[in-house]
Amino acid sequence: MFPMSLTSRLLLHLANIAVIAFILLPLAAVVIGSIQSEKALQADTRRLMPLEFTLDNFTVIFSKGEQKGRIYEQATYLPDNIKNFYTAFANSTIVAISVTFLTLLFGSLSAYTIARQRFRWTVFLLQANIVARFVPAIVLMIPLYVVMRSLGQLNSLSGVIIAETGFLLPYAILILAPYFDSIPKELEDAARIDGCTRFGAFLRIILPLSTPGLAACGVIMFIISWHELLIPLILNARPDFMTLPVVIASLVGDVHVFFNLMMAICLLALAPTVILVALLQKYVVQGLSIGAVKG
Amino acid sequence: MSAARQDGRRWFRREVSAARFAFLMNLPTMLCLALVLAYPVIYAGYLSVHRVGLAQLRRGEFPFNGYDNFERLFEDRLFWLALKNTFTFTFITVGAEVVLAVLIALLINQSSIWTSRITRVLILLPYAIPPIANGLIWSFIYSFQFGFLNRILFSAGMISEPINWAGNPETALYAVTVPYIWRTLPFAILLVHAALQGIPRELYEQAAVDGATAWQRFWRITLPLLRPIIAVILILRTSFAFAVFEEILAITQGGPGDATWVAAWYSYKITFSPPNNFGMGSASAYVLALLIGAMALVYVRFVYRRVTL
Repeated sequence: MFPMSLTSRLLLHLANIAVIAFILLPLAAVVIGSIQSEKALQADTRRLMPLEFTLDNFTVIFSKGEQKGRIYEQATYLPDNIKNFYTAFANSTIVAISVTFLTLLFGSLSAYTIARQRFRWTVFLLQANIVARFVPAIVLMIPLYVVMRSLGQLNSLSGVIIAETGFLLPYAILILAPYFDSIPKELEDAARIDGCTRFGAFLRIILPLSTPGLAACGVIMFIISWHELLIPLILNARPDFMTLPVVIASLVGDVHVFFNLMMAICLLALAPTVILVALLQKYVVQGLSIGAVKG
Repeated sequence: MSAARQDGRRWFRREVSAARFAFLMNLPTMLCLALVLAYPVIYAGYLSVHRVGLAQLRRGEFPFNGYDNFERLFEDRLFWLALKNTFTFTFITVGAEVVLAVLIALLINQSSIWTSRITRVLILLPYAIPPIANGLIWSFIYSFQFGFLNRILFSAGMISEPINWAGNPETALYAVTVPYIWRTLPFAILLVHAALQGIPRELYEQAAVDGATAWQRFWRITLPLLRPIIAVILILRTSFAFAVFEEILAITQGGPGDATWVAAWYSYKITFSPPNNFGMGSASAYVLALLIGAMALVYVRFVYRRVTL
């Protein structure tokens, strides 16, 4: 905007390099760590760059611990949860897709009326949703555990899906309501004059126009439910029903698992959402800012 | 079959009143919120004044014990330590995030600097990392013997002996703030950057004509106009930092000793590890909920101001 001196340009470049290095440091660590063996990491503890490249960490995960490769040849113990990678990945996918679908479905029905119908109770509902967004998961999990236990719903994917849908729904509504509000009301009025019902106008006119808003909300819902740890950690203790974050959490404090294997599984767990954010960055940005401050 | 479909279509075609329509459209949401949010919050209140351990869970009878849980809670040194740590953690992370978010948003707003465009593309990356994976990655970075931080410092010649970043009671709490800031900063930067783009250029041009320096332009124009978004960030980030859990679990598990016990970790440990005191766990979670609830009310009342659509 304003002409800048060479010195200030240089300083800004340096600042950028520092920020980029800070952003990339953990990603470099997880990539480098995942292609090392335990031996290589222990051999020289002061060396910056990797000593060797090996895909054995991934091989052992992908083959459910059957192909041990060179690194794990002599390993006598591998945690069962590592062998459960496929199940955990499938569980995470099922949960994330179901939660995204349900929050979009319920959220759009509710957000549309909150944006369009000004009853006292719909305004109250919006305010209740704003407050609900702040409720920390730990507060909900203790009573939910007791309830689910008495209902026999512990260790099931449906329990996790219900809990996460309820937990995320307020946020979905906060993202969608301002979006529906930004669509001109005249469009529905015209449709209504042509004989469309209220629901028909919503379904045929508003929803198709809201695809960008639904995409923004959907991608954020998917990311948050893919990342969610506490809800599945507390509700599901059996390996068959663990999601990826729970598997990762189970490796913490297991003295027999070394960093290289942990980094490999972390890399596999973070890849889907990183790809999603890279592809849909525009929508994520839009959804995050619209959800925090209206419009 | 065809009759049912006919009926379905008729329902779809039938016109309903505005009030009835709004009610029907909100029904699934209200059921969901009642089941998964309102009921558990009320039930947590119920649990917090009853004796609930594993034995009581098995029997299904929870004897009433008044305010015993809260009394025991307030007598517990670890509870106060966890609260103190939570406040320290929140103060550091939120303070750092607000300052860094403003600085980095200004930085990526410099479209004439080509490195700023690279930063802008990368800025959202940490948002995509699962919190628990983030914690584990940083526990690798901090690792006493094999960690990357010590490797970098060795290579740069800045240290001669490895430093145990997360294993030292003096530094552990500060060590867990950095991963948390790393993961949640993109959100704050994004909001500030969006707000920056809403500031009209003419204001700056006018100020430059009047001879204002870049420093004055920042203090007199940019910062005052960023105040609303900074309030949003302060409240949202404070309430989420109060409930920090994943990074603590992955990096220190409350340790070394009890140096990094925070509120959510306290509730989790009290409840889900022996002797499984669900009543006291609910009581401690309630204290956390009240703190965050106060923040939420401030947000609804003063910050999310254009709320009545």
